[in-house]
Amino acid sequence: MKPSPRMLALVTDAFGGRGGIAQYNRDFLDAVAKGGAVSSIKVVPRNARGFYLLPEKIKQTPAHPSRSAYALAALRTALSQPFDLVFCGHLFMAPLAALIARLKGAKLIVQTHGIEAWPRPSYSQRMAVEAADLVLCVSRYTRSAVLNWTAIVPERVLVLSNTVRDIFTPGDGSALRAELGLQGKRVLLTVARLDSQDRYKGHERVIAVLPRLVAQGHDLAYVVVGEGHDRARLEAVALRAVGSERVRFLGEVEVQSLIKFYRMADLFVMPSTGEGFGIAFLEAMACGTRSLGLNVAGAKDALADGQLGTAVPETELAAAIARLLVEPKRDPSTLAAAVRARFGREVFAAGVCTALNRLMEAA
Amino acid sequence: MCGINGIVAYHSSSSVPDEAELLATRDAMRARGPDGLGVWWNADRHCGLGHRRLSIIDLSDRASQPMTSSDGRFVIVFNGEIYNYPELRTELETEGAVFRTTSDTEALLHLYARYGAEMVHMLRGMFAFAIWDEQRRGLFLARDPYGIKPLYTANDGWTFRFASQVKALLAGGHVSRDPEPAGLVGFHLFGTVPEPFTLYREVRALPAGHTQWVDEAGPREPKPFVNLAEVLARGSANPTPTAELPERVRAGVLDSVRAHLLADVEVGVFLSAGIDSGAMLGLMRDAGQREIRAITLAFDEFHGTSEDEAPEAARVSEIYGARHIVRRLKEREFFEDLPEILEAMDQPSIDGVNTWFIAKAAKETGLKVALSGLGGDELLGGYASFGDLPRWRRRFGPFAAVPGVGLLARKLIGAVVPSFALARPKALGLLELSGSWAGTYLLRRGLFLPHELPVVMDPEIARDGLRRLKPLRRLAASLVPDPRSDSARVCVLESMHYMRNQLLRDADWAGMAHSIEIRVPLVDFKLLAALAPAIGTLKEGVGKAALANAPSRPLPTATQIRAKTGFGVPTGAWMSIAADEALGPAASRTENKGLVSRRWSSTVLNGLAQMDHRAKVHAA
Repeated sequence: MKPSPRMLALVTDAFGGRGGIAQYNRDFLDAVAKGGAVSSIKVVPRNARGFYLLPEKIKQTPAHPSRSAYALAALRTALSQPFDLVFCGHLFMAPLAALIARLKGAKLIVQTHGIEAWPRPSYSQRMAVEAADLVLCVSRYTRSAVLNWTAIVPERVLVLSNTVRDIFTPGDGSALRAELGLQGKRVLLTVARLDSQDRYKGHERVIAVLPRLVAQGHDLAYVVVGEGHDRARLEAVALRAVGSERVRFLGEVEVQSLIKFYRMADLFVMPSTGEGFGIAFLEAMACGTRSLGLNVAGAKDALADGQLGTAVPETELAAAIARLLVEPKRDPSTLAAAVRARFGREVFAAGVCTALNRLMEAA
Repeated sequence: MCGINGIVAYHSSSSVPDEAELLATRDAMRARGPDGLGVWWNADRHCGLGHRRLSIIDLSDRASQPMTSSDGRFVIVFNGEIYNYPELRTELETEGAVFRTTSDTEALLHLYARYGAEMVHMLRGMFAFAIWDEQRRGLFLARDPYGIKPLYTANDGWTFRFASQVKALLAGGHVSRDPEPAGLVGFHLFGTVPEPFTLYREVRALPAGHTQWVDEAGPREPKPFVNLAEVLARGSANPTPTAELPERVRAGVLDSVRAHLLADVEVGVFLSAGIDSGAMLGLMRDAGQREIRAITLAFDEFHGTSEDEAPEAARVSEIYGARHIVRRLKEREFFEDLPEILEAMDQPSIDGVNTWFIAKAAKETGLKVALSGLGGDELLGGYASFGDLPRWRRRFGPFAAVPGVGLLARKLIGAVVPSFALARPKALGLLELSGSWAGTYLLRRGLFLPHELPVVMDPEIARDGLRRLKPLRRLAASLVPDPRSDSARVCVLESMHYMRNQLLRDADWAGMAHSIEIRVPLVDFKLLAALAPAIGTLKEGVGKAALANAPSRPLPTATQIRAKTGFGVPTGAWMSIAADEALGPAASRTENKGLVSRRWSSTVLNGLAQMDHRAKVHAA
């Protein structure tokens, strides 16, 4: 019987990291470890700031933020023990991962997330992706973009969608609503970073349609959760548009509070043009709150082509918000269950197993 | 001929497919199957299959598709004909299979249930089919060894779709129209889009002689089940004595023609004044067919001249007692049909116009099925390429092997004698490409050469397309293992590229547009295997002579001599006029056939691009 393969994972961050990519890497590696397809996983992160617990079978080296130190650490780790699989958690690391996979005679998996994989990358990154045995993409859009610039066999490029954690569930959000003084109002919510490079998230698009919605008689409040360098500018934009009362910037919140925000909102809206997937849509819907986005890029996947949430062209954003605010609410439990049926942890874990089995069957 | 299509939402996150999409794709193939239609969904509606039927074997409704196995586990949609179906049925019944119909479709279901993917090795015929296995929740697809029947797939990462036509897949409204640079470059290089590419990145051909499996883990890479080069390499290793060639050809081709007559409707024949179609007619008679309608395309421009094929075809027809129908074609009809021709063309092609009109003629006579002599030149060394390629390799190959010589010569001639470069652009590539069989073949068949692409198309698309297409590597890969003789190498190259991507595809779309099934007995894997030991030692003219003498009453000597001089067709001149109208007048009124083809290719591409644009606007 063939021994189970050993995996080397090169990641920007995973255990001890923050943000969507770190979360995805944790979800992926956790599912690999639990799935039983590999005997061990050695994670080499560039960043690991916070406290973390490692699942069984997973070991993580100290973080090396500098690029050269990271490359040396990855090579040293790779050469010090046998590996059969190399998982590359970010396109930027693909050349290094491809080199290591070649040196070790190991199979190579390259993970692509979103915006980093849409434009044509450097020559070395492209060659590394073309050398991969499997390329995983978080959405159909990212897969399509990758296939636009690589000459890789398309059957080797799979979609492994983001998943939503079990802690996001429906519940009563009235306490938070009262705390914020929003009783009787219709609450729109966006959860996203507020950095200038993240303006594609679409906060300004929502702010721009608010005056029209208010004029139509909707008693609205727009709650923005998230932090970033662009916050002051956005606050000024909101102030000019509808005054200070209608738009609340509440900064970054801990996950338990975040769940309450999702439950409290009448509509989660994120008219982003640059989502690799848009995990916040899933979190909102898993909490039973309807979600609205644009029908572009990865958001179409998270909104399931309109079967879970609503995906519209930008020109129809105001009309869609108005319509969803007056339509009867979908039963939160039913919506949450539908989200889990497509994007729940079990579905994700099964997808990871399936992808690894594909790799093994090709061996 | 039929039209098949299907949707499999294989990914755990994918949405349930839309019935309207399945029907839109199916009904975009109306002409492929005017006699019936069907649709099937599995219980959770994650797999849907569609079918348009042209009834040829078992005309009853029992043989309608999608067809389900008696235990409900397997469901099939099938386009094509299985010529050894009677033998397979007998064997299957001996093993206990119970048939509900007399169709070859049902035999495929039984074979798959018993032998799984290995069943493709048992089939003789032209086929593209998909079988859904409800128990394994997967889809098995297969396409015949030569790629006579088309099969296109599209995978967006969640959902897998397939259909007999590219345009049908697009008509469903869920397949991306993002362009594929390799397809566009391929069209400029070869005058047709080389598989597996199409003009659209998301749409790919399942390559000829391949199977594919799709399940919850997505579509697997297509797997080859035959290798033409290997068959010929084996044949070359055990060559047959030259004296045995006539008998081998006679027995092999008669057997193939007999097999290709299997039908519950009348089978006619396309008859030119050449050897291939004449032999088809003679062998149909030898195979025992009593009533034969033979259809010849003739041109008013040639009436009463030595270029007219009709009188010679009439003589051949008379010898074999066929009912001869001559369909005359005028220039006006060519121009009247041109928009329809472009509409029916599934992917751009610089050929297929003659097939359009002969199929149209067949339809007018009420035929549904006709034999064609297509493939005789590839199989039996009928093309000039069988002489040209080895000669060019011998003469220019050694120079081309010196690094930089070809490039230098091209630059030098282009600078010193630009008029020569303009009139004979391909001659410039001689020293650059004749160092390999792949390069020499590209030189021989190329419409444009790689170095010309940045001039005739967007340079960035040209560069990107060449990188994705890898034309020389792709051509070279078809010669693995080495077929071990010059004629066998050319046979493989012509069969796997020109015939597959151009002739057979043209026969499909042009025939399909008139609901005519074109059968090609000279494109038969069993026949290839039988003749492989003789192909490696074929001398010029010997193979075609053997074919001319294959019928018990050989083709008249006049036909054999006449065939060597070739025939002209005025469609080339008409294409030139059409290109003038679309692109402006040609630089020279004395342009050769190659230059006309180049201008015609732009006309075709522009015409299809306009249609594509209209379709996009309509969809939006």
